[in-house]
Amino acid sequence: MKTGLVLCRTGMGSSMMLRIKLDQVIAENKFPIELSHDVMSGANSYNVDLIITMKDLVSEFKDSGVYVIGVLDIMDKKYMKAELVKFFESTT
Amino acid sequence: MEILSNLLKFIVFDVLGQASLLVGTMALVGLLLQKKSSVAVITGTFKTVVGFLIFGAGAGVAVGALANFQTLFSEGFNVQGVLPLAEAVTAMAQTRFPAVIALVMVLGFVMNLLIARFTKFKYIFLTGQHNLFLAAMLTVIFKALGLSDIVTVVLGAIFLGLSASMYPSIAQPFMRKITGHDEIAMGHYCTIAYALSGWIGSKVGDPKKSTESIVLPGWLAIFKDYIMSVAISIGIFYYISAFAAGRTKVEALAGGTHWLLYPLIQALTFTAALYVIITGVRMLLGEIVPAFVGISEKFIPNAKPALDCPVVFPYAPTATVVGFISAYIAGLICMVVFAAIGWPVIIPVAIPYFFIGATAGVFGNATGGWKGAVAGSFVTGILIAVGPALMYPMMESIGLTGTAFPETDFNFLGIILFNIGKLFGLA
Repeated sequence: MKTGLVLCRTGMGSSMMLRIKLDQVIAENKFPIELSHDVMSGANSYNVDLIITMKDLVSEFKDSGVYVIGVLDIMDKKYMKAELVKFFESTT
Repeated sequence: MEILSNLLKFIVFDVLGQASLLVGTMALVGLLLQKKSSVAVITGTFKTVVGFLIFGAGAGVAVGALANFQTLFSEGFNVQGVLPLAEAVTAMAQTRFPAVIALVMVLGFVMNLLIARFTKFKYIFLTGQHNLFLAAMLTVIFKALGLSDIVTVVLGAIFLGLSASMYPSIAQPFMRKITGHDEIAMGHYCTIAYALSGWIGSKVGDPKKSTESIVLPGWLAIFKDYIMSVAISIGIFYYISAFAAGRTKVEALAGGTHWLLYPLIQALTFTAALYVIITGVRMLLGEIVPAFVGISEKFIPNAKPALDCPVVFPYAPTATVVGFISAYIAGLICMVVFAAIGWPVIIPVAIPYFFIGATAGVFGNATGGWKGAVAGSFVTGILIAVGPALMYPMMESIGLTGTAFPETDFNFLGIILFNIGKLFGLA
């Protein structure tokens, strides 16, 4: 089981919706990953395999050494699925 | 029989009268409706209750730091300084009318669902914290007008439902331009400013000359983290007020702390309080919003989710920074103008100017390129200062001092409702 962290600026609004959509994608495809969500300044207190955030914040996590997915369209579940597949391929 | 009625009284007045448990019950129902596992139901319910209590704890800290700031600012400049932060007002209102606000929020969501189900307004407002803030504002208004708890809950739920269903439609033509589709709506109660910014953009500029072809200096990225942007902006104003008030006034407040360190510690304490409040809100909404989403996706298949403003940020990241700066400059100008004409002085705190200014920037850019982003967010910056200045006296009348709501849609609705109430001889 992998762990993923969904991040946004305050951790209240957009990361919540992003997480809901990602959880739907994960459930539909039975991906072996568990998500939590937080504010981006809280990122250091987690030890996760994957960070997922909105595309404009991706550069913040360049140096984290963690695999990062940046989402442009929060409703685009096809893109999320494709990116998660890529992530799983990269880890095996 | 008596045992039964006592039990009923216990549940209705004691358990549900405790706002934290009321909110926990809502989460419990939501989790059960989603048929979650028993472990998820129990942890989700407890986390919601704890989140609500954290939210209240942050309010206490924020109030202290705010009060000291106000003292220094009014000593230094002989005018009232107001920090416009919805998080702070809501946290304070929540200590006064906790159960009423929680009920307005949930029944307001039910109203939103009903309106979306039966009218052509298909928007479901899913930005949980904004519905919470609006529930707090409506409660404050109706309580300021002297209405009872029950009337406040009923009217509050109706107006929250109407706002949730209708405000997103104002911004929708521009949302289509930004995202390129019609699937999501703007769920941030500043739609008046955003639509105005989009309209201004279409008049002043050319969408082909986009902000996204501009390269900005890298240090501006520190404002992406709200801890930094709040600490810096409040710190600066805390020091300005401290110097204006003078050493003796600061030392009177500071206790043993050195007077030159005191503003720094206070500004960071306020930032810490805000972090606590936002953490509480996140835990509080973490179970409730997914339930809202689940319910609306199930019962209203063609619903359009109205989402928090950062969903548009990836479409024009540079416009968000341009918008923030432009709105902030407008805020600084308003501060000076308001002081000169004797209005409550609205201190430009970074958070609302960042999120609202940034979104207005994206809207302006979509219709008018960089010129649209600059002009649209500048006007937005003026609106989010004028609104709280007009609303502040009303907030103050009910004992919520030092802070006000910056959001245009809150103030527009609030000022209308309050004046209608006064026409009917209330307040």
